[in-house]
Amino acid sequence: MNAHGKVWRWKVLVGILVLVLGLTVVFCTTIGPAPVGFVDVLTILLRKLPWLGNFIPRGDWPESYETIVFQMRLARVILAVLVGAGLAASGVVLQGLLQNPMADPYILGISSGAALGATVAMLFNTGSQVLGMYAVPLCAFLGGVITAFSVYNLSRTGNRVSMPTLLLAGIAMGALLSAMTSYVMIMSGKNIHQVVFWIMGGFFGRGWEHVKVLLPYVIAGFTVMYFYAQKLNVILMGEEQAQHLGVDVERLKQFMLSAATLSAAAAVAVSGIIGFVGLIIPHAVRLLVGPDHRVLLPASALVGAIFLTMADALARVAAAPQEIPVGIITALCGGPFFIYLLRKRPYR
Amino acid sequence: MVVLKVHDIECAYGSVRVLNGVTFSIERGGFTGVIGPNGSGKSTVLRCISRVLKPVRGSVFLDEHNLYGLSALETARKMAVVPQETAVNFSFTVEEVVLMGRSPYLGRFQAEGKRDFEVAARAMELTNTGYLADRLITAISGGERQKVIIARALAQEPEIILLDEPTSHLDINHQIEIMNLLQRLNREGGLTVISVFHDLNLASQYCDDLILMQNGAIFALGKPGEVLTAGNIKNVYGADVLVKKHPVTGRPTVMPLARVQQKNKPQGRVHVVCGGGEGAVMLALLVNHGYDVTAGVINAGDVDWETARLLGIETAEEAPFCLISKNSHEENIRLIKSADACIMVSIPFGRGNLKNLEALSLACDWGKPVLVLEERDIGERDFTGGQAGQIYDELKKKGAVVLKDKHEILKRLKNII
Repeated sequence: MNAHGKVWRWKVLVGILVLVLGLTVVFCTTIGPAPVGFVDVLTILLRKLPWLGNFIPRGDWPESYETIVFQMRLARVILAVLVGAGLAASGVVLQGLLQNPMADPYILGISSGAALGATVAMLFNTGSQVLGMYAVPLCAFLGGVITAFSVYNLSRTGNRVSMPTLLLAGIAMGALLSAMTSYVMIMSGKNIHQVVFWIMGGFFGRGWEHVKVLLPYVIAGFTVMYFYAQKLNVILMGEEQAQHLGVDVERLKQFMLSAATLSAAAAVAVSGIIGFVGLIIPHAVRLLVGPDHRVLLPASALVGAIFLTMADALARVAAAPQEIPVGIITALCGGPFFIYLLRKRPYR
Repeated sequence: MVVLKVHDIECAYGSVRVLNGVTFSIERGGFTGVIGPNGSGKSTVLRCISRVLKPVRGSVFLDEHNLYGLSALETARKMAVVPQETAVNFSFTVEEVVLMGRSPYLGRFQAEGKRDFEVAARAMELTNTGYLADRLITAISGGERQKVIIARALAQEPEIILLDEPTSHLDINHQIEIMNLLQRLNREGGLTVISVFHDLNLASQYCDDLILMQNGAIFALGKPGEVLTAGNIKNVYGADVLVKKHPVTGRPTVMPLARVQQKNKPQGRVHVVCGGGEGAVMLALLVNHGYDVTAGVINAGDVDWETARLLGIETAEEAPFCLISKNSHEENIRLIKSADACIMVSIPFGRGNLKNLEALSLACDWGKPVLVLEERDIGERDFTGGQAGQIYDELKKKGAVVLKDKHEILKRLKNII
């Protein structure tokens, strides 16, 4: 195959996924008590586009629809898109760097660190006077990043980071922090329902503030990861060979781990611990498009976004008016699907 | 012109020093082999000159630049490395793997251009892997994979290619194919090749120069003929070998010798009449069983003669391609006299060595036990028009014992002595 054909095929694929994501966003925005139709939402959104929006006529929907779409629904949908994309991209990168199929965004202990941070913030109202609603996300983010940073340094000798050690240190640190979280929960003597709900992960009550917090991390993180995508391919040949092929392996690891960690920690900070997206989406997409990160990374981010947005829609309607934590939905869908993949095709 | 210069390097893994004071330089267009026993530091030398393991002391120069001052990218444009084995767990196609060789040349947008595809296609053509292009790297054989990795190295358009025992996991057909390929790239493409070898003969056949390592230092350095001597190999590997010239290439060829087991008490003295390579195995067997062995009359330079020399056997010898002279015949008789028993192996007889039969006839007359190994009928190896057969039959009449197998000879010998 020539260069042109391959890149062309990638572009078509990514284009299709972007389109599907767009339709998913519109579709999921229609879900809710008020009957805002698909075309209505589409038109409302398109009218917001710069310049092009001026040419689209306004439909005959009530004024309140725009408020419902923008103030109540869209932020949550966009947040699901960003979290899904961030987790899936982060998962792709960590699976590549660690060359381990079980790696996911939480492998460095981000989830348990964030859970401890969030638990402390919720149970003791840490910093809520100053930070208000940002207290929990900030504590979770710090918990996650500090944990990942410690794990990274634990597995570092001089300038080199051993990936197998990183994996084990992440597991050990995770176990330690989970135990601490459990202890804090039990000993606080308070109602831990809120904490459990947070840990399961979800988008209940999240709004534009959360989108604003997360957006820069996901965009910056993805840019860095995509910039090094080709080098990540080379890393799959083994670290020493990658170095012989001109890759500054240690620097690549630093940049990639930072990007993946910050995206994942920011995602956890705003949405709690949503499992499985960062683990299965990369595997599923790899089976679909192959291991080349130049297409695997954007495609996974898009599929992750689509998947999590749909899962969140399901979380809203499945047991309405009660809401299910989206983490339960992702695990319920993801688990069986993963088993199906494993049985159908041996892992490659 | 020197392309790679290694000056007085010392390397260590942690506190374990593995190289100490290694100095050598490689000429552009050379084909150099690094050999040595396990743990002698030969792979470490390769890691050190491929910018993976920074030496604690000393320096490495690539094209007169300090190697450890160059970036990974700059180095990868000049030097490619082929490891012993490449385990790939991700399903890239062969073409995608070869294209990774273009990695050091890719620009910001990371997509390979027309020229990258051309270089990769040419690399696959050279290595004869074009037909694999669309196959998955995970679904081809080890030999094919190694050729693909060499293609990837060539796609880097390097000046130097480093290889770490590139064929040690492969069948002989792939070994030869890969070595011939490297030789062609070296001679026709001017590629400088530096390779670690486990197999001394492979190294000898293909390399212009050899570096023999021992305990982290260079033991010998030079042409294969200078480095691969039985003495050097005994010194470095502690192995007893026979070094012969390859009949076609003239390069030294190393053959292992079974270790000679010295028994404590001598079993007695045995004289073997042999020649032309028929007796070599018998001589080694006897020595291994602890007998004090002599042999004769053998023409100098033949296989039996060389074996006898290697085993330290006293021999009555004759100049190459000559009839047995009076002198050597007398020497043979002297050895027979001092032996407890005589053995004759299945040698062919011509006019040149008829005297050997006569000597044995005398032995029978003196009552020495004579054992005759008859692996082939005498009629098939009598080139004297019946003369040899006649003496042979007389020998039997005089009491020589004819046996069909070497081990029967050993058994019988035990009863005699």
